[in-house]
Amino acid sequence: MASTEVTVRGQPKTAPRKSKKPINFGDIVSYAILTIAAILVMMPLAWMFSTSLRPTTESFQLPPAWLPTQFRWENYVEPFKSSVPFVDLFINSMRITVAVTVGQLVTCSLAGYAFARLRFPGRDLLFLLLLASLMVPGQVTIIPIFLLMRDLGLIDNPLAIILPGLISAFGVFLMRQFFKQMPQELFDAARVDGAGHVRSFLQIALPLAGPAMATLGIITFNATWNAYFLPLIFLNSWHKMTLPQGIALLTGYMGSGNPSVVMAAVTMAILPVLFVFIAAQRWIIEALTRSGLKG
Amino acid sequence: MQISGLTPEMTPKRREAFVGYLFILPTYIGFTIFILYPLVESMRISFQEFSLLRGSTYIGLDNYAQMFADPRLRISYINTIIFTLFAVFFNAGIGLLLAVMLNRRLPILMRNLYRSIFFFPVLIAHTYIAVIWRFLYQQDTGVINYYLGVLGIDPVPWLSNAHWAMAAIIILDVWKNTGFAMLVFLAGLQSIPNEYYEAAQLDGANERQLFFRITIPLLSPTIFFILVIFMIGALQVFDTIIVLTAGGPGDATRSVVLYIYEIAFRTFNMGYAAAVSMTLFAIILVLTALQFWISRRWVHYE
Repeated sequence: MASTEVTVRGQPKTAPRKSKKPINFGDIVSYAILTIAAILVMMPLAWMFSTSLRPTTESFQLPPAWLPTQFRWENYVEPFKSSVPFVDLFINSMRITVAVTVGQLVTCSLAGYAFARLRFPGRDLLFLLLLASLMVPGQVTIIPIFLLMRDLGLIDNPLAIILPGLISAFGVFLMRQFFKQMPQELFDAARVDGAGHVRSFLQIALPLAGPAMATLGIITFNATWNAYFLPLIFLNSWHKMTLPQGIALLTGYMGSGNPSVVMAAVTMAILPVLFVFIAAQRWIIEALTRSGLKG
Repeated sequence: MQISGLTPEMTPKRREAFVGYLFILPTYIGFTIFILYPLVESMRISFQEFSLLRGSTYIGLDNYAQMFADPRLRISYINTIIFTLFAVFFNAGIGLLLAVMLNRRLPILMRNLYRSIFFFPVLIAHTYIAVIWRFLYQQDTGVINYYLGVLGIDPVPWLSNAHWAMAAIIILDVWKNTGFAMLVFLAGLQSIPNEYYEAAQLDGANERQLFFRITIPLLSPTIFFILVIFMIGALQVFDTIIVLTAGGPGDATRSVVLYIYEIAFRTFNMGYAAAVSMTLFAIILVLTALQFWISRRWVHYE
């Protein structure tokens, strides 16, 4: 049992199926297939990047050069000079994403803590109700939300996207799981020291919740940064739009005439995701697999 | 201020409950306004002839009856089901294949590198990926047709032919999402104890038997979870399609959600759109209930 524990803990580092047999044919075949698959996954992104650095006249050069052959960094300035307010799009996206992420971290950690560590009448029922809302697809609620935002005068206002984004049943679930795993002794000790529930939350639970907060923060950041459905419905003037909207329009706007500039814009839009991924890969992967396995 | 509720005369039990309610309050306000109320309201609207300008009137089940006589809705549902079947099959199948191969003997560095590469597209917006692939799919100038040409295959009308357009959407979806299935499967595979394989190998089992007699049965809860999650996601396909084909050519790639979006926000026939969204909701509800029920049974079974 103890050995299993070690394997599970050090999971990414240990080879799961060690056998003493020499490397066989199957290993080589799977190695080759994996390599081909990895190349296929990389190719569209490589094309995106190398095209983004090519002069417009050679955007459609065939056979395609997968690695950049030329370095026209001017293409990266082009979106900022075009009639598309690229800077605005970027700022709009950032503003919405940060507001939603921070908001969810606050509401989800509070609710997650309450559901995990506090006792109050109706708690389990309320939690179940919240969990059940995960089954409601966004397309079902969008019409009344649209009418509500219209009545509030929030059409073409980032608040129409931020407000519904401030809560998350998934986030509450994630935070609750984390707070539940904390040892009771920590809180007992705090109680003895005279700490109330609010102080226990702020000074004991929250400082230890870093990994869970990071996980939720990353997942929310990415989902909001990439969101298309809500912005498409609520934001309709160029200066209010988000980046995915702008880039989708940029493609049509400039026609297929200038892929180099479009690809430069897409590359810039993907960069934050890439940075976050490189910095926090382990957390992302662990969190997603854990949430996946738990169902 | 709330502090008044925390006065010493409260019993500890009541104070704990008070703080509990206070902590879940923001979530529940949002939940009520943005999920519960819209859900009920959406049901109500689905029984209305809705007009933004003229006001609404109740028309009973007319919207629901109208669906049966709506050929575009039928096509949208057929498209969505075709997309769902293929996307789920290939996402799960290829994801499982990659996970199984990654779980073989590989240098750790390789495993982590490949895992990251396969997973990265999951994090990129559908919109951006559709923008990139729209160039790759171009009939005359596209990279994909160029390589098919090298193999001696005539240019494929990826986005202008009804069948190929659907194929194009499915291929893009698998390219983007199979990494998520791979990730979950890999974790599932790594949680299968080594001893099972060792014991079976001692009994003379070959690789095939190990896979079908040990891996698949023990992985079945994970497989089922992935199938359901991908099915629910595929039924809601929207971003990719609106950017890549906008539902065309004709109605060939129009999905249910794209159709709902169009009737709700382009023709503003909100009542009918709400009714259609209810049908999608019902399907997703059944799938989720099924997933919940079966995973329960699995847990008890083990």
